[in-house]
Amino acid sequence: MTSNISRRKILAGLGATAGLFAAPHIARAQGSAGRVVVIGGGFGGATAARYIKLFSPDIDVVLVERDATYVTCPFSNYVLAGIRDINSITHRRDPLGQRYGVRLVRGEATAVDTSARSVKLKDGANLPYDRLVVAPGIELNYAGVPGWSEQAANTVMPHAWKAGPQTVLLRRQLEAMADGGTVIIAPPANPFRCPPGPYERVSMIAWYLKTHKPKSKILILDAKDAFSKQGLFMAGWESQYPGMITWIAGKDGGKVESVDPKGMTVIAGFGKEKGAVINVIPPQTAGKIALDAGLAESNGWCAVDPNNFASRKAQNVYVLGDASIAGQMPKSGTSANSQAKVVAANIVASLRGVQPPAAVYHNTCYSLVTPDYGISVSDTYRPGSQGPTLVPNSGGVSPARADAAHRKAEAEYTMGWYASIIADTFG
Amino acid sequence: MSFRIHALAVALVLTAGSAVAQQRIPLNDTALAAQACNVCHGSQSYLSPAMPAIRGVDAATLYTALIELKTDKRPSTIMGRISRGYSDEQLKALADYLSKN
Repeated sequence: MTSNISRRKILAGLGATAGLFAAPHIARAQGSAGRVVVIGGGFGGATAARYIKLFSPDIDVVLVERDATYVTCPFSNYVLAGIRDINSITHRRDPLGQRYGVRLVRGEATAVDTSARSVKLKDGANLPYDRLVVAPGIELNYAGVPGWSEQAANTVMPHAWKAGPQTVLLRRQLEAMADGGTVIIAPPANPFRCPPGPYERVSMIAWYLKTHKPKSKILILDAKDAFSKQGLFMAGWESQYPGMITWIAGKDGGKVESVDPKGMTVIAGFGKEKGAVINVIPPQTAGKIALDAGLAESNGWCAVDPNNFASRKAQNVYVLGDASIAGQMPKSGTSANSQAKVVAANIVASLRGVQPPAAVYHNTCYSLVTPDYGISVSDTYRPGSQGPTLVPNSGGVSPARADAAHRKAEAEYTMGWYASIIADTFG
Repeated sequence: MSFRIHALAVALVLTAGSAVAQQRIPLNDTALAAQACNVCHGSQSYLSPAMPAIRGVDAATLYTALIELKTDKRPSTIMGRISRGYSDEQLKALADYLSKN
């Protein structure tokens, strides 16, 4: 009883209109079309909730989300560059309720009972489901970098790998830095959220430094020996930021062994380095609720059926986005959005008792080298024995040789993509 | 609660209901595949001003464009790469769907 009241309070807090027009949908859904609970309101979860309603408005969809607003990781590097405001990448989920009838529940899912088909929230409320979508994104492994900690991240060595206050903190440190300092960026080993992200970040910080602190340097201490769109990024750095950026691969001693937040130093295989600004991007796992619900493998990520992203661990549960093991698909916002559409179609088909449509997945990731210089990777995938698999002789990255107009066009499409995917995800 | 708020709430219910009804997506292979286009080109509810329009374009025109993109007869940034992920028959079905939706 108490929990019901507190949930009502939460619903009321979202705005009177959301509660009011949700009511008829609940009445129609009970006992007939079915109920879906979605944990997580990022690119994956919000898209799944919206598309279930677009396929089948009579299904009762409940979206559980901890945070009031969503700050996108895509475009957070442009906040670091100073070419985009944090408010412009902060989005509300209200349209999912107002336009599509998704019930928005503000709260934190703390446990899943997959046999009783119920999600427990932190406030004690239980949400029963017919089908569950788990889209919690990532958990950062603070212990994965010796010497580093959550406290260090919140003060002197931010990760900025979940956008929001961390993005603002890293931006302030760049602003406070004297001209001539070194910015150290330490990307993790695979797999991790947004494979080209660290290198777009390098590009955008380089843009800020070139235009404001041109004597400064950037040092990339990488756990890996290769990275996404490497040839395109490195050619872009050479032409746009000559002499500013040094990349040290894992095999050359680039892997960070430990950090000292007090001394602002990093120890890597090749030696010790002091930074004016140090950005630690740690190893990651699936979001905590996926681990707590027993949906993850021993490597910390969730195995799924490549045809529909159904969990390999539990019936009636789907795991998508960064938390999933998605074959050749990268952990990206576009991947999560694409997987969510397949999941939505499969859930609707299974609740109707009909054959689902064939799965086809898509990813496009744009990166900016400068505000007028865009590059991309774009691929189509179909289910295969090892997960979603690239369609042969298709997809790939931007051409190695292209004129300035081509790079400019991709920079413009980067902006267009963002506006469209936000509308496609949050309504 | 005042009448004004009641009236507003009812109006929102009606608007939301009709918007959902208009946009219902059929459950078939082509309709699902076509939703991939939305992340860049927008959808019925959001037409991107930055991207080439594809929805409501004549099916034959759209199909010709996709085939020319696929074979690099028509230069592009990413659409050549994307259209090579689909057979000519799939592209034809997608062009038909997008022309009507």
